[in-house]
Amino acid sequence: MPDSRDDFIIAIRYALLKKGVKQKFSLFFLILLSIIIIILDRSSLSVMLPVRSVLNDLVYQAVAISSLPGKSVRYLSQVTHQHFTTYNQNKSLQEEIIKLKNDQFNDSFLKTENKNLKKILSLTNDRFLEEDIFITAKVILDQESPYLKSLLINKGSKYKILKGMTAFSENALIGTIVETNYLTSRVLLLTDLNSKIPVIIQNSNINAILSGSGNKRELILDYLPDQFKLEPDQIIFTSGKDGYLAAGIPVAQSYLNKKNEVVIKTIADPDQALIIFVTNGQFHK
Amino acid sequence: MKIFYKIKEILFSYFPLILLYFLSFNSFELLKEFHNLIIFSFDLQMILIYFYVLKYPDELTPGHIFIAGIINDTVIGIPLGTSSLSYLVLSFFTSYIRNVTIRTKMLVEWATFIPALFLANFVYFIIINNFSNLSFYYFELLRNSFFTFLFFPIFYYLFNFLLKSNSKIKD
Repeated sequence: MPDSRDDFIIAIRYALLKKGVKQKFSLFFLILLSIIIIILDRSSLSVMLPVRSVLNDLVYQAVAISSLPGKSVRYLSQVTHQHFTTYNQNKSLQEEIIKLKNDQFNDSFLKTENKNLKKILSLTNDRFLEEDIFITAKVILDQESPYLKSLLINKGSKYKILKGMTAFSENALIGTIVETNYLTSRVLLLTDLNSKIPVIIQNSNINAILSGSGNKRELILDYLPDQFKLEPDQIIFTSGKDGYLAAGIPVAQSYLNKKNEVVIKTIADPDQALIIFVTNGQFHK
Repeated sequence: MKIFYKIKEILFSYFPLILLYFLSFNSFELLKEFHNLIIFSFDLQMILIYFYVLKYPDELTPGHIFIAGIINDTVIGIPLGTSSLSYLVLSFFTSYIRNVTIRTKMLVEWATFIPALFLANFVYFIIINNFSNLSFYYFELLRNSFFTFLFFPIFYYLFNFLLKSNSKIKD
């Protein structure tokens, strides 16, 4: 019995401390170093912040370069697919143009009428515009890790991006900034488990919290009243109750899935987001 | 022609390092290319580390495993050192298995991959839960671990085949 225990200890010691021919550090030293790094990172010491920021910038730039072959493959397949669908799209777009031209005439009439009515009522639209921050950024990497759904963008604190700012894709909210470095930032997507925003449902006074589910585009509505039943094709807007996001930003829409269940999906598709707009929350079209 | 063989030899001899660093930079980016197969996502880094530490420890040293882990943490956005510690624990367990095993068989190595994977993921789980405010996708981690274990034999034979090709080139 003592012999087997000795063998066990020898095997463990050998695994931890033995150095190979090309090995400079023992496993024990590196495990210890990892634990120290974790503790230092967690303690958020002032020394660690610039170190982490520089490391993030360096790695993100390297990732942007190393992911180029993968991106090229995706780009090529998209171009090929687009080529085959352009003809049909062109036909339907031409029909749409004719329809939209007719609508445009109606719109301009309504616009003028609206302007005149506002003048009479002394209302104005020009609020907050000067204070708004509006930064256009390119997505350098979209992460779908099992732990965090996020995007990396090519603008950071150099371009006055701050933690907590909101990110939009095609006029729809996709997430918030959770990490800023000098040259890059990380956007936490709405679909992430950690994302929670106050919302209001279209054609109702119902307030709720929209949370990420971790799935591709699906979201969950928390804190709904017991009797409330969500209908399909309802748009979900930000309620602005957090005091940061402007009210009325379209975030998600309800759909009927194949099983005839009402599910909620983001309006913007984070997978398709190549260019995003970062604002301080007061987003105007 | 000699230059071509030289390049091929260098690529083959540094294959585990190149693959490890490439995966650390691009692991999840690659999975995105195959959306329909995302359900079968698995951790190739774990398989790579387990295989090389078990069979050819001099080809993949702990220093490189540590750096690859740090890169992985930065890319994913989790506390620094999490992946490094998880990979190093996997390396430690694998070294222990190598020390106590006399005759090796694929089935035995496949079976011992279960506790190795469990231990590495357990360390990951503990750190994420205690050293970060992130929520955890438990089911995805479980699914990921299951497919990592399931696909091990395929990569076992693939890596063995590559190593044999490498030794033929050297000869």
